[in-house]
Amino acid sequence: MAEALYASSESVLDWIANQGSTRAVIAPRQGDDGAIRYEPLEPGDREAARGVLALAGPSLLPPGKLFSPPGEVLFTWGPAEDGSFRVEPRLDRAPRLLAGVHPCDLRAIHLMDRVQADGNPDPHYLARREATAIVGLACSEPCSERCFCEAMGSLDHHEGADVMLAAVDGRILAHARTPLGVSLLADLAGEPCADPEAAWARHRAARPEPFGRALPGSREALGRATTAAWSDPVWTRHTEACLACGTCNLVCPTCYCFDTRDEIDVAHPGCGERCRDWDGCMLPGFAAVAGGHDFRRDLAARQRHRVNRKFAYLPAAHGDASFCVGCGRCGAQCTANIDIFDIARDLLAGSPDDAPEAEVSA
Amino acid sequence: MRPRIAFFDFASCEGCQLAILNCEDRLLDLLQLVDIVEFREALSEKGARYDVAFVEGSIHREIDAERLRDIRARSRLLVALGACASTGNVQAAANALSPAENFARVYGEAARNRVQADRRHWPLWAHTRVRPIEEVVEVDHHLRGCPVVPEEFLRFLGHVLAGTRPMERPHAVCTECKAAGVRCVFERGETCMGQVTWAGCRAICTRQGYRCDGCRGLLPDANLAAHRRVLREHGLDDEAIDARYDLFCAAGRQAIEEGPL
Repeated sequence: MAEALYASSESVLDWIANQGSTRAVIAPRQGDDGAIRYEPLEPGDREAARGVLALAGPSLLPPGKLFSPPGEVLFTWGPAEDGSFRVEPRLDRAPRLLAGVHPCDLRAIHLMDRVQADGNPDPHYLARREATAIVGLACSEPCSERCFCEAMGSLDHHEGADVMLAAVDGRILAHARTPLGVSLLADLAGEPCADPEAAWARHRAARPEPFGRALPGSREALGRATTAAWSDPVWTRHTEACLACGTCNLVCPTCYCFDTRDEIDVAHPGCGERCRDWDGCMLPGFAAVAGGHDFRRDLAARQRHRVNRKFAYLPAAHGDASFCVGCGRCGAQCTANIDIFDIARDLLAGSPDDAPEAEVSA
Repeated sequence: MRPRIAFFDFASCEGCQLAILNCEDRLLDLLQLVDIVEFREALSEKGARYDVAFVEGSIHREIDAERLRDIRARSRLLVALGACASTGNVQAAANALSPAENFARVYGEAARNRVQADRRHWPLWAHTRVRPIEEVVEVDHHLRGCPVVPEEFLRFLGHVLAGTRPMERPHAVCTECKAAGVRCVFERGETCMGQVTWAGCRAICTRQGYRCDGCRGLLPDANLAAHRRVLREHGLDDEAIDARYDLFCAAGRQAIEEGPL
């Protein structure tokens, strides 16, 4: 079996659409409102699969949210037939194919795979993730004006994909990266590519340079600058317009915080479901603890925490240069136009000399 | 003993009680588990004490405040049912006007001075502020919205029956737009109250292509100055913005923009 193939766009679409006979295919699709969403594809619906090869984006929500859908039921409880109290975990192992994942989102999935398997593993995430094959699409051009994926080291990220697709020489290169990817490629009509690395080199050479927005420093320097800026006015400056709506958290491919809630069956109050909702550190009450104290009530302190999670805390905990992947969603969807790229740029530029000292309360 | 629950209404359209009666398929289950002892929309019985009192409507007259205090004293849990009880709703817009001006608007110029001149009006206007019930009594839980969300009512009762209480998370409607995959109303070129409004409606209006008008009330820490700037950037002038806030949130805006005394 071939590790890499050249195929036409039409063959690739047929291949993706036909995967629907063995597993649910989730693919990006542009809705009537112009927004791109990852949605289930009807088996064999080749036209609807076109989004897999489309370079517009990013999607409204990152595709990795598939592994932790909002409001998911973690377990049910209630009396068993013998009268004992019974808790049933709910794990979703339905086989899926997630297609058309761009490198920034792929890198986010790769990071989340590490986070969710580490320490206290999340069986709900892992069950869905392990049952899901991923076909990625390398970007030939920035998908939006907010993109800064190269600055965040995501542009050439392939790990986590079973097959990577890329436009090369007017055709599509399909490169298997896992044994599962190799078996998936068995169904794709194409001709073998003997030297995929050379093909990748040509794909990269055809890309614009720089790719998306560039930052005036490395990710490592950004991490150091973030840590050094603890008392810097940068947090207040980038928070005055903040509405605390939580959108930046909820659309972020590496935000995974959640809260739980119980749904009780009103007809059988001894039975119910434990559900999980997305939460985020910019939302009011996120850091409220028993007794009512909120140890991060101040918005600037919340902003500082969010940015530190991306550039300092999680990178230190999980050994990666940054947990921001540069997709640009948080800035694009913030109605107050607060963009983490601007914060990163200001952090790297250092505090302006004439800025007043402003201590952010913890 | 089955929990005894009761419904009361003050200044309101009683639409929230009707919204609850519309949970027909679940009401029969519910009646096996609770005793409904007072419900003007559905029955005429009266009770002396209640486990849960659901109170619909805003408080206008002192006589209403007294009645509400009496209900509070007889109830273990008191729940604000809907926007009128939770925020004062549309009628709280009257708080921005003098009683005389309000009279002239509603009944015509000839009636302008009647509120002062006619002593029969004095008890009615002795208290000229439309109040959410929380300004009069302690409230244990809020079921927000105009009208209430029937599922939230059922969820609340399920929790009461199980001996717990659902959380009231002070999150914006934006969180529910995101969970539902709704494209932002602002990106459609419209303006929206969602960023400063209590969630819990599952973004019912924006999911159907409309905007959020804020019927669930302003969040306690809403950054109205920043929200006003966003609305201005999207083409609304201050008069239009005030009208948007005051549609459902007049009482809430006064509290946030004017601050504590």
